[in-house]
Amino acid sequence: MLLYVIVYDLPDNKRRQKIHDLLEGYGQWVQYSTFECWLSSDKYAELQKRLRCQLNLDEDSIRFYPLSRHTVAQVETWGIGPPLWKMPGSTIV
Amino acid sequence: MRALYVSEQGCYLSLNDQLVRVKRQETLYAEVQLPLLQMILIFGKSQVTTQVIRACLWRNIPIVYLSRMGYCYGRILPIERGYRQLARYQDDLTLSDRLQVAREIVCTKLRNSRTVLMRQHRRQPSSSLDLVIQSLAVLVEKVRQADNIPRIMGLEGAGAAQYFSAFGDCLSSDEFIFGDRSRRPPGNPVNALLSFGYQVLWNHLLALIEVHGLDPYVACLHEGHRSHAALASDLLEEFRAPFIDAFVMYLINRKMMDVRDDFVYHNGGCYLNDVGRVKYLKAFVKRMEETITDEFGESQPKWDLLNQQVKAFKQFVYDPVKQPYVAYQIR
Repeated sequence: MLLYVIVYDLPDNKRRQKIHDLLEGYGQWVQYSTFECWLSSDKYAELQKRLRCQLNLDEDSIRFYPLSRHTVAQVETWGIGPPLWKMPGSTIV
Repeated sequence: MRALYVSEQGCYLSLNDQLVRVKRQETLYAEVQLPLLQMILIFGKSQVTTQVIRACLWRNIPIVYLSRMGYCYGRILPIERGYRQLARYQDDLTLSDRLQVAREIVCTKLRNSRTVLMRQHRRQPSSSLDLVIQSLAVLVEKVRQADNIPRIMGLEGAGAAQYFSAFGDCLSSDEFIFGDRSRRPPGNPVNALLSFGYQVLWNHLLALIEVHGLDPYVACLHEGHRSHAALASDLLEEFRAPFIDAFVMYLINRKMMDVRDDFVYHNGGCYLNDVGRVKYLKAFVKRMEETITDEFGESQPKWDLLNQQVKAFKQFVYDPVKQPYVAYQIR
């Protein structure tokens, strides 16, 4: 399980919204076009596969930064915005 | 195991792109990320839209329907889960393979029960507890030599009776009194806590058994028939004492449950009410999400131990000679 920072730049509004909605299923939206996701290797592969279907790589740009445990511990967040994403556990209603 | 437990009554689960929304009237209770989810448990009366059902079927996420006290009515599974290939291997298990697993499961169950009592004995020594601890050790030896299922079941029953007579002594509360184990229906709050816990764990095991493609109706110790997923009951045995009994002890001794506010009496039984159930589940899930270090030095949540045992059983089914089933034993 690694923390991935995923950032994207898409000119098309509709496509950007779709990518945003898809990523919301896998992690936390932290600021415009930036998500933090804790993913196992198979979930990461699944997400990339699903993203690949939505993107047009002639126009779009997307970057995936995996963080090692060592560097995750050194992450700093300043100012407003949510704290660093923790993998959520079970939900009880 | 990342699960969504819907214990609140009258909720409505709908799909919003990748998120499952749990609402009641206009109140949004939770938004859960569907791709990361492994199971949905609905306690009592809540509605699930076809969109959610379809998305779950697509992703192999079982939706389990339970009564408020945790009894499983049924579940929603994708059509390809037909227990085909592995079920054949399960049917091919010989009588002696089954006997060996039955013995292993009951031995470990008794050993785990014994360990739970021994931990308590270290905190608060008593001669009656000591006696039960000794006699459980004797029973373990007898089970190891038992050569048929009814005999194993008999010894298991004798062990459980001994164990539960000592279990009450481990509870340091004047309000939660435990005389003996009663079920269907549970007769008092302590039994209600035990029954509910076993049911929840049973359901998780059933879901895992199905996810791994095993046939839950073919088992080694318990008699399987169409209305009883006996394999879940088999695999539950080794987890009862460490995961539920010790947890119930902890809840009561730490005064986390309220004997007046958390229970409801009906139909001659005692059950957790809406408040008590949520309290119980929250504490239980927190405990199951705690990580422990396994024999390889890896840390992992307790949930994963269930998965490991189901996997171990699967490996045993593939090759009973080379990979005998080893039950989960606490240290």
